Amino acid sequence: MVRTYRPQSFQEALEIKKGAPVITIAGGTDLMVKRRRSTGLSPYFEVPAMFIAHLGEIKGVRFDGGNIRIGAACSFAVLLQNEATPPILKTAVSRIASPAVRNMGTIGGNICNASPAGDTLPVLYARDASVVLKSIDQERILKISEFITAPGETVLREDELLKEIVIPEKPFDVNFYRKVGTGMTNTISKITFTGIAEILNGMVKDIRITFGAVAPTVVRSRVNEERLIGHSGKEIEKMIPEISSLYSALINPIDDQRSNAFYRRSVSLRLLGHFLRALPGC
Amino acid sequence: MGDYINIGRSVRKIDALSLATGADKFTDDYEIHDPLYIAILYSPVAHAEIKQIDVSAAEKVRGVVDVLYYGNVQRVLHTTAGQGYPEPSPYDALLFDRRVRFVGDRVALAAAETREAAIEAVKKIEVKYRDLEPLFDMEKAMDESAPRIHVDDEYTKIPAEYRPEQNLAAEIKIGFGDLERGFNEADFIEEQSYRMHYASHCAIEPHTSCAYFDDRGRLVIVTATQVPFHVRRIVSTVLDIPVMMIRVIKPRIGGGFGGKQEVILEPLVALVAWRNKRPAKVVMSRKEVFISSRTRHPMRVRLKTGVKRDGRISAIEMDCLMNTGAYGTHALTVLANAGGKVLPLFNKIENLKFHGRSVYTNLPVGGAYRGYGATQGYFAFNQHMDIIARRTDQDITDFFKRWHIREGETSAVFKALGEGKEGVSQVINSCKLDECIDRGAGAIGWHGKRGKRIESGRNRVKGMGMAIAMQGSGIPGIDMAAASMKMNDDGSFNLYVGATDIGTGSDTILAQIAAEVLKIPVEMIIVLSSDTDLTPFDTGAYASSTTYISGGAVEKCAEDIKNQLLDTASVMLKAEKDSLKLDAGKVIDKKTGKKVPYDKIAYHTLYIQDQFQIQAQASCTASESPPPFIAQFAEVDVDRSTGKAEVVKFVSAVDCGQPVNPVLAEGQVEGAVVNGLSYALCEDYIFNSKGRMVNPRFWDYKIYTAADIPEIITIVVNSFEKSGPFGVKSVGEIGINGPAPAVANAIFDAVGVRMYETPMTPEKVWKRMKEEGVN
Repeated sequence: MVRTYRPQSFQEALEIKKGAPVITIAGGTDLMVKRRRSTGLSPYFEVPAMFIAHLGEIKGVRFDGGNIRIGAACSFAVLLQNEATPPILKTAVSRIASPAVRNMGTIGGNICNASPAGDTLPVLYARDASVVLKSIDQERILKISEFITAPGETVLREDELLKEIVIPEKPFDVNFYRKVGTGMTNTISKITFTGIAEILNGMVKDIRITFGAVAPTVVRSRVNEERLIGHSGKEIEKMIPEISSLYSALINPIDDQRSNAFYRRSVSLRLLGHFLRALPGC
Repeated sequence: MGDYINIGRSVRKIDALSLATGADKFTDDYEIHDPLYIAILYSPVAHAEIKQIDVSAAEKVRGVVDVLYYGNVQRVLHTTAGQGYPEPSPYDALLFDRRVRFVGDRVALAAAETREAAIEAVKKIEVKYRDLEPLFDMEKAMDESAPRIHVDDEYTKIPAEYRPEQNLAAEIKIGFGDLERGFNEADFIEEQSYRMHYASHCAIEPHTSCAYFDDRGRLVIVTATQVPFHVRRIVSTVLDIPVMMIRVIKPRIGGGFGGKQEVILEPLVALVAWRNKRPAKVVMSRKEVFISSRTRHPMRVRLKTGVKRDGRISAIEMDCLMNTGAYGTHALTVLANAGGKVLPLFNKIENLKFHGRSVYTNLPVGGAYRGYGATQGYFAFNQHMDIIARRTDQDITDFFKRWHIREGETSAVFKALGEGKEGVSQVINSCKLDECIDRGAGAIGWHGKRGKRIESGRNRVKGMGMAIAMQGSGIPGIDMAAASMKMNDDGSFNLYVGATDIGTGSDTILAQIAAEVLKIPVEMIIVLSSDTDLTPFDTGAYASSTTYISGGAVEKCAEDIKNQLLDTASVMLKAEKDSLKLDAGKVIDKKTGKKVPYDKIAYHTLYIQDQFQIQAQASCTASESPPPFIAQFAEVDVDRSTGKAEVVKFVSAVDCGQPVNPVLAEGQVEGAVVNGLSYALCEDYIFNSKGRMVNPRFWDYKIYTAADIPEIITIVVNSFEKSGPFGVKSVGEIGINGPAPAVANAIFDAVGVRMYETPMTPEKVWKRMKEEGVN
């Protein structure tokens, strides 16, 4: 039998975390699958499980003084319905799994799972999202790129819980997201591409470019992005070969059962080209 | 075509409500008292000899009752293929062998009080393998240096080419005319090879079997099968238990598609039960289904045609190499169908040669799979004809209409290529393929869109492709079905059929046939099917045979009942039998208008006068296998930036004779289309260099979900097949033949690259576009 905890508050959840090792279960859409056993047997948990998806304090999405704050246990379905959710995040979330999984799965789970193919991650990286980590004793705020260190690995401590995700509020004029996967639903990404840009007087004022599933963690380069800032669409069109080769050096896709490295690399760069050509003035 | 009250009407599936409410039982729903649970140990290596096997640790696991492996199980060569007897597949399999031949081959099993214990026990079986050189490339299987996979006393029950010393599981050579002259007469030669890949049936219910004993010690096997009578025979043979001691019950089935035409688990569950005198149960996981059950045979089809400038084909050579995997299940007959169900379609070709070989490899085992070789053959044929039509500057629809077989015509291939033996000559009685082509083309807007390369968005372009196909209706001279009926007091009838409803709706359509003969609503027929103790024999649900052959048995049986009703009514009404007719549950005297309802007739025969029960039985075989025909059209949107071919619309127009139940007929075609598109575009067995499938789960082996399915239109074009009951032909398999070639032809239409192999994943389309320099 699995020992389980169902805390009544986020505070109580932190106390439980402090006390003994537990597996935190929000939606369970990854955890239950990872622990599944042969037909007819229930999943196996090596340590007690603590449920947190019912905790109202970490379920909402709201504007808060220039930021959008998303509770870690906010399900994908709720994200899709909430007005405060950035549209590009909604686009990414709408392609995650299937309605049933979106009803259960949470953004916090997607982040803590730290899969190279986690579909909210490239958008969160592009939007400079931070994560708020809480323990009984302290609170830390980290950039998402500092939080995730490797496939499946984060700097979350034994006694910490991810409380919320903070996205700076900022309008982008161009929002380009593509997921490439085998099917329309329940598909693990072969590639995701996110490109967002702010345009002022025909010039790129800000631009963010991220690639998912083509390296151990999300690929983003502020240095490369800065090369594009201040240029017009027309100028950028001429820079595409140069920019493509810069990104080609950064991405490091693999051959696996879902696709191959050649395809991932060439399609990633092609999507980059499409995004850059989609900038106004091109 | 008569004035039918049941035939051609979409009556509700008789098990619809009980399935929808969960009342009806699948195999795993049977509550077996205190069973032993079985777990199976599979080979992790592709080719090896077992040097040593130690089961002592497994036997010590708490709750373990029995551990079986080659050392304590009888050695009976057999085939798992549930086909007519003697099976045309080689006898090359044992329950457990000292040698393993693919990753997923069975090594041992453990039976225990709980599933957990059984699984733990198989993990504790210690096996030392002596690795043998594996064979993965079917093209090299017959090389002299190739490792030999079957080295013992494997044999065939039928006279057939079988040379295990060369890894040759089957070979077929037929031909007529003068091939060389035909090629010489041609204005040009077109020659290409096409490859189709492994696939899993993906029936949502995995293979599941249980066994228990009746009160007199007979073994009862409840199992997810398409072939209950073959199960009984094969279990009896392999375990040396008399047939009379075995009863096989087929409950509701969650899909078969050919995968459950294999007798895989039943001998194991029966063996454990029989040895331990305890009920036993086994349920495969999805992974087990992928790696250890059966698959679609991969095939390489080389077509060489000599073509005259006007598109006339002066010679055709079809050379098929089929990978049957580690065992030769259906190795001969799937191969035969790749030619036999394809070549007759172009019956005007005078010079023809078919050469097919099935070879063993150390890869998963092929088996029956919807389409049964025809699918592989048609992938090649339809693309090849698209190439020829384009080279001779014709629209492929016109080209097909000009050359396909017609009513009143025959093909020498029918006789030359049978299933395991020579085929039968037959003349086509019904063929509405022209109408199928025209109506399908109209429904998809063929003439406005083909060749136009319509841009459908940034970097997206549309293409149109089509394919035609035929199949068969049962196996002539081999398949047999029987039915029996009896009349009850209230004028209802029990209908007993050996036929096996595997979710297809055959219980319903067989009831419709009986009800039509007797002019009563379907609700007055109580169907019991597929119980070897209670129902008559049937070879099973395969080869698109049920509607045509089992339906034929039901019609004959009901006609006998009708005759008895008329005899009795003529006594009761004091009327001439000739002036009587059946009408809405009554017998009416056409002369006097006097009538007697069925319940009165039943009462009369059961209680009143010259007492007897109105009952009948009938058997049916077929002397021909009338083909259904289909034309299928795909509108495909190719994304040039990702190589993804997305089908946006798919139209099928099918001539399946008189549809018994149009909604169920359409459902068969729609299901086959989805099955075929999914296979054509995304399903894929991926092997590592050691021959291990690396994606045995629905995570990574992608099948279409509702969101992937395009707009599907199915047009049922009625015809009348005089040899079938009420004019029927088959419809279950044919629809899977067109999706892959229609999509391939559409991809060519869109971006100008020819897809010679499946699956046509974005990666492959992308690669082909790079190769052809169109990207």
